[in-house]
Amino acid sequence: MQEATLSFKARAKEALADPTLKIAIDRTTGTAERKRAVAMTQFPQFEAARERGKRIKDHVIANLDHYLLEFERNAIASGAKVHWARTAEEASQIVVRLCKEAGAKRVTRVKSMLGEEIGLPHALDEAGIERVETDLAEHIVQLGGDRPSHIVWPSMHRTREQVSEMFKRLHRAPHQEETIEAMVDSARRELRDKFLTADVSISGANFLLADTGATCTVTNEGNAELTTTPPRVHIVTAGIEKLVPSMGHAIAMLRLLVRSATGADVTQYTTFHCGPKQTGDRDGPEEFHIVLVDNGRTRMLREGMKDMLRCIRCGACMNHCVVFRQLGGHVYGGTYPGPMGAVLTPVFDGLESSRDLPHACTMNGKCQEVCPVAIPLPTLLRGWRDRSWREGLEPATVRFGLGIHTFVASRPRLYRLGTAIAIRVMRLFSRGGLVKGMPGLGAWTAYREFPAPAKRTFMEMYKDQEKGQ
Amino acid sequence: MSARETILDAVRSGLGNTAVDPAAVRRDADALLQDLPSIRPALLADGLVDAFIARVTSPKVAATAERIASASELPAAVGRYLEAFGLPAVVALQPAAPLQDLDWSGFELHDKVAPDEMIAIGVARWGIAETGSLVFHSGADTPILANFLPLHHLVMVRADTILPFLDDYAAATAGQRPPRNVNIVTGASGTTDIEGSLVLGAHGPRFLHVVIVGTPDSSE
Repeated sequence: MQEATLSFKARAKEALADPTLKIAIDRTTGTAERKRAVAMTQFPQFEAARERGKRIKDHVIANLDHYLLEFERNAIASGAKVHWARTAEEASQIVVRLCKEAGAKRVTRVKSMLGEEIGLPHALDEAGIERVETDLAEHIVQLGGDRPSHIVWPSMHRTREQVSEMFKRLHRAPHQEETIEAMVDSARRELRDKFLTADVSISGANFLLADTGATCTVTNEGNAELTTTPPRVHIVTAGIEKLVPSMGHAIAMLRLLVRSATGADVTQYTTFHCGPKQTGDRDGPEEFHIVLVDNGRTRMLREGMKDMLRCIRCGACMNHCVVFRQLGGHVYGGTYPGPMGAVLTPVFDGLESSRDLPHACTMNGKCQEVCPVAIPLPTLLRGWRDRSWREGLEPATVRFGLGIHTFVASRPRLYRLGTAIAIRVMRLFSRGGLVKGMPGLGAWTAYREFPAPAKRTFMEMYKDQEKGQ
Repeated sequence: MSARETILDAVRSGLGNTAVDPAAVRRDADALLQDLPSIRPALLADGLVDAFIARVTSPKVAATAERIASASELPAAVGRYLEAFGLPAVVALQPAAPLQDLDWSGFELHDKVAPDEMIAIGVARWGIAETGSLVFHSGADTPILANFLPLHHLVMVRADTILPFLDDYAAATAGQRPPRNVNIVTGASGTTDIEGSLVLGAHGPRFLHVVIVGTPDSSE
């Protein structure tokens, strides 16, 4: 949804030149990777669970119309009001209208990637409604006036030093001590009264339960419950792919989601929200609205991207992506970064403006390997590359370069001659086992290691062996 | 055409299927929940209460736990907890009969939880051994905010309500009208949003203390 003022390459260049960013990314993704690895050793059933999770999501997608109707029927029976939105704009308009109808001056929000996807923060700001982000990371993003850079840790691009500076400047009673504990406490004090005085709360949903019409949120902070309980109106926005048949299926998916995201077995708070406050209830909202959002999902069904609808937004693919770990999330320009973002952003924003994303991939396959629902991300990325080529979106320089490569590679003598020369030149610039400072290769080796060529090439060894026989 | 019809039509044309047999869908959905032991972790101990406590007190959940023989011992257990932390005996008590019927002499009680409440005492409907979780249903005797506002949350759970797995909770409540909120609480509130390092007491409780009453086959 965000309009990118700079090209992907220009943003990547900026990110690579920012030394603080690399530290921030490494601190969070490194921890996430380690914790997930430990969780996997304690869950030998992971492979079987993952296969089952994949089948559950495939089953739901194959019967999506059935489950949407079942969910709608049960949600209405529970007292909820169900709304449907074809596009991001339509979804935001519905939420803003509901807020206005509720006479809302202040709304509290629980972090939701769908909310970001439909541009909800912007729509609320435009409508002049005070928006309070309650997830700690989203609170940091809001104070910093920038955008989330990760789907689980939206403020991972900030170091503790930067967060401390912002809190001291913007909180009413900021921390005195320079510890992360004290900073978290400062945010707790800052947000406390806002939770309790909001008119409307807005959350997303990790799952929609077809058989009861309930929605499910998972958080570690407890901000979802503090957000969605006091206000008179609770609005849920959710993508239509979030359905599961029942709570049992949600539980099977939760085991995969949480371990893949943070390495915990379950989040501290897993809450199911079903309808508004019931007769006799001590607290809870009087109105409960659910906005079901398409925004490109039915197009993905039609255009051979069904596999991507399994995605449960755990973030494991980005935590394990060598490109993401160099660049961080902002460079991707869309709501969703990393490998899953590179697949999804062209769906939302069109391939023409985002064709660089599917190219920002080494095809090492790590994302698919860690994906808890086995999405073939490299295959989907390759699909975008093919399409970009077929639709003539690749620039002339790329077409020309590939043309030359095809010409040379299909002529073995010429190819060998070319590579023999290249290897000799590279050897001239080799120091300590790496190629350094070679003209024409500087942009590549500034942020990457380029190993020096082996002493002897494969072809040289092969010829010697042939002679020896 | 309404947004609803447009979306449903687009789903159907994307799937290419015409008629859905609800009974067949149901059978397929049920089949996906067969053979659960192969897709979930094993319990940490043989006995349910032992497995539950092992999870509750594991580093990942990082709560504390103790066992008492009968609910009548709860006030004394709470007293010991407060003394250890040097806290006053002023507590918010969940307005639930199993708690209100106990002898709380020596305590100053209230049932409305304040935004900066120091100590709240609640009772969970179920415990889950798989994850060390406590399950609450919102209702007339269970305000939702009572589980989230206090800094110290002390929760009583009867040993005979501890279920092995999360799936057993789903099975135990299947077919019933769900409450507005089902809260599955596992440990104290935490955040890893600043550089991935875990800090407790983000917005919810910083301390969770679980008191298990009786044995699995006692009716206390």
